[in-house]
Amino acid sequence: MAEFNLDCLGEACPIPLMKCEKKIAELSVGDVLIVAIDHSCAMKNVPDWARTQGYNVEIDEVDDGEWEVIIEKTK
Amino acid sequence: MPDQEQKTSISRTRAPRKPKKSQIPYALVITVLVIGFGFYLSGFSLKLPIYLAFGLLFGYTLQRSRFCFTAAFRDPFITGSTTVTRAVLVAISLASVGFFAIKLNSVLNGSETNLSMAGVNPIGIPLILGAILFGIGMVIAGGCASGTLMRVGEGFTMQIVSLFFFVIGSLWGAHDMGTIWSTLNESAPKIFLPNILGWFGAIVVQLLIIVLLYIAAIKWQQKKMGSE
Repeated sequence: MAEFNLDCLGEACPIPLMKCEKKIAELSVGDVLIVAIDHSCAMKNVPDWARTQGYNVEIDEVDDGEWEVIIEKTK
Repeated sequence: MPDQEQKTSISRTRAPRKPKKSQIPYALVITVLVIGFGFYLSGFSLKLPIYLAFGLLFGYTLQRSRFCFTAAFRDPFITGSTTVTRAVLVAISLASVGFFAIKLNSVLNGSETNLSMAGVNPIGIPLILGAILFGIGMVIAGGCASGTLMRVGEGFTMQIVSLFFFVIGSLWGAHDMGTIWSTLNESAPKIFLPNILGWFGAIVVQLLIIVLLYIAAIKWQQKKMGSE
């Protein structure tokens, strides 16, 4: 199980979502992707997208207006 | 459940965070300032504090709900998700009923005959051009008008640039509206459904179209993502 970081700070949605889609395709099952975002819209659509894909998702507000979305590729 | 185990395992790897600074004192100061500003505005016109209150309520709702008109039109194409699209459809149907009530009431009372055509704009070349430009712009900028304003308030610096050029574009458009664009609108049709279908026909047709779009949105998501 490897951990990958994806820095999407300062990027407006839909960029973080599209980066996630590309990055998660490179990951193998069981790997964890940590996406750093500071755009409130991406805070909603990234977890929504990951959940509908069936991945495990956790959101961590690391600072005011800055989040880490932790996605575990389960399949 | 394996799900549960995996969840705890991913959270365990997270390092503890430094405690966040409380923002409540700032909130209290700003609330007092806003109330003060409302009283200041009431000195000019009693309508202004009401506008201010509605503006704040809209902003609060937008920010808390993460409501995004851009996502409503963009996400169906990017991810196939139509959850925000459906939220916008619900909002439009509620607004339709509200506008219907206000406009019908004004016609029944005969007080303001101009109100029924207020906000009804011609469907012409400027509208089509503007819609295409706005559509491209809002996806690149990551927000429509309300979304950009809301995120500037949140402190997302990139969208201050969006807001700046948004203001310039609006001013430029407004400047040329009377001279260039209105000439293209002279023969453009102005459609107001109640004039064609009658008041109740109009609201029924409007809501029916929204219901059909809602069903289409659900089907779209099922097809693209295989889930609701």
